[in-house]
Amino acid sequence: MKKVLTLAFAAGLASQTAAPPVHAAETETVFRFYCAQCHGLTGKGDGPNVTKDFPVSPRNFTDATEMSKLTDADLRNVILDGGPAVSKSPMMPPWGKTLSDEEVDGLVGYLREVCACQGG
Amino acid sequence: MKGILSTAISLTWLFALSSAGQADTAAGQAAFEANDCVSCHYTEGPAREKTIEDQLAKTGPELWYAGDKFNQDWLVPWLADPQPIRPMKFNSLTEENSGDHPALGADDATSVADYLMTLTSGAVESGTVKVKKNAKGRQIFTKKMPCSGCHQYRGRKGETLGGRSGPSLTDAGLRLNPDWILAYLKQPETFKPVKMMPVFVGLLSDKDMANVASYVGNFKPKK
Repeated sequence: MKKVLTLAFAAGLASQTAAPPVHAAETETVFRFYCAQCHGLTGKGDGPNVTKDFPVSPRNFTDATEMSKLTDADLRNVILDGGPAVSKSPMMPPWGKTLSDEEVDGLVGYLREVCACQGG
Repeated sequence: MKGILSTAISLTWLFALSSAGQADTAAGQAAFEANDCVSCHYTEGPAREKTIEDQLAKTGPELWYAGDKFNQDWLVPWLADPQPIRPMKFNSLTEENSGDHPALGADDATSVADYLMTLTSGAVESGTVKVKKNAKGRQIFTKKMPCSGCHQYRGRKGETLGGRSGPSLTDAGLRLNPDWILAYLKQPETFKPVKMMPVFVGLLSDKDMANVASYVGNFKPKK
C-alpha cells in the first residue's frame, strides 16, 4: 500500500513538473520583446539597459514582497501610462499606444506568475 | 528655332544625366547583391513585419527606406569601415555587438551608398526639421520620455550616457536625416510596424516630435 502511495505521489509530482505554463506563449514573447530590455529576460530588473548610470532600478518582478504591494490595476496602469502615472520614473515608458488590451492583460497575469504572488 | 535647339540640348543633357544616375544605381545594386548584403537586409518596401516573430527573424535592419534615413556623407565611409551602431547584437538582449559587419571596398562603398540613397518610402517630407540645441527636445528626450533609457547619447562632459538595447544615438546627427526621425516618430507603422520602441503617437504632439527630431539631429561630435 505504501509503495502504491509513493508511486501515486511521484506520479503527481511528475504531472506537476510537466504541466504547461498558465500564460500563453504569446505573452512570454511580448514580455521578452518589450519588457526585458529593462526588466531582464527573467524579470529580475537586470536588462541590458540597466548600467551603473541607469537612473532607477527597474522593478524586480521576482520580488514577491514588493510585487504584492501592487494591485493588478496598478500594474495595468503603469504598463499603459508609464512610471509617472504611479509617481514612478518616466524611464518606464507608456505602452498604451503600443500594446493591445489583450497583451496588457496577458502581461499582468504573467507578472503574477513571475512573482508567484497576488495583488495587494 | 533657337528655342527648339536649346530645348533639344537641355533634353539631351537631362537624358544623359538620368542615364548616368541609373547606371550608378545599377552598379550599386549589383555590388549590394554581390557582397551578399541581401542576406541580412531587405530593400523592397513596404514593411513586411506583422508579428514579433517576423521582426525577430531578421538578422539586420530593413533598408527599403535607407535613402530617407541616412545621410550619404555618413553612409559612404561607414560602409567602407563599419563601426557598431547598436551596443547589442541586432535583435539580442544578451549578446554584445561584436562589430563584425562586413566592410566594402572604397568603390563598392560609394556605389552601394548611391544605390541605398535611391531607396525611399515617399513618406518623408524634406526640410521640415531644423536641427539645433533644442531645449524642449532635450527635456523630452532626457526627462519627460524614456528615450535615454534605451539609446546612448553624449552627455555635456562628453561622456556616454543612456541605455543599450536600442541603436546608439551618439553623433546620430551625422548618420540620420532629421526629417526621417520626425517621420519615424509620427508614422512608426510605415517604417517599423513591430519594434521594441514604444509608439509615441498620441502621447507626444507633432510639434514635440519635431523638437525631439531637432534635438537628436543635432547630436554631433564637439568641435
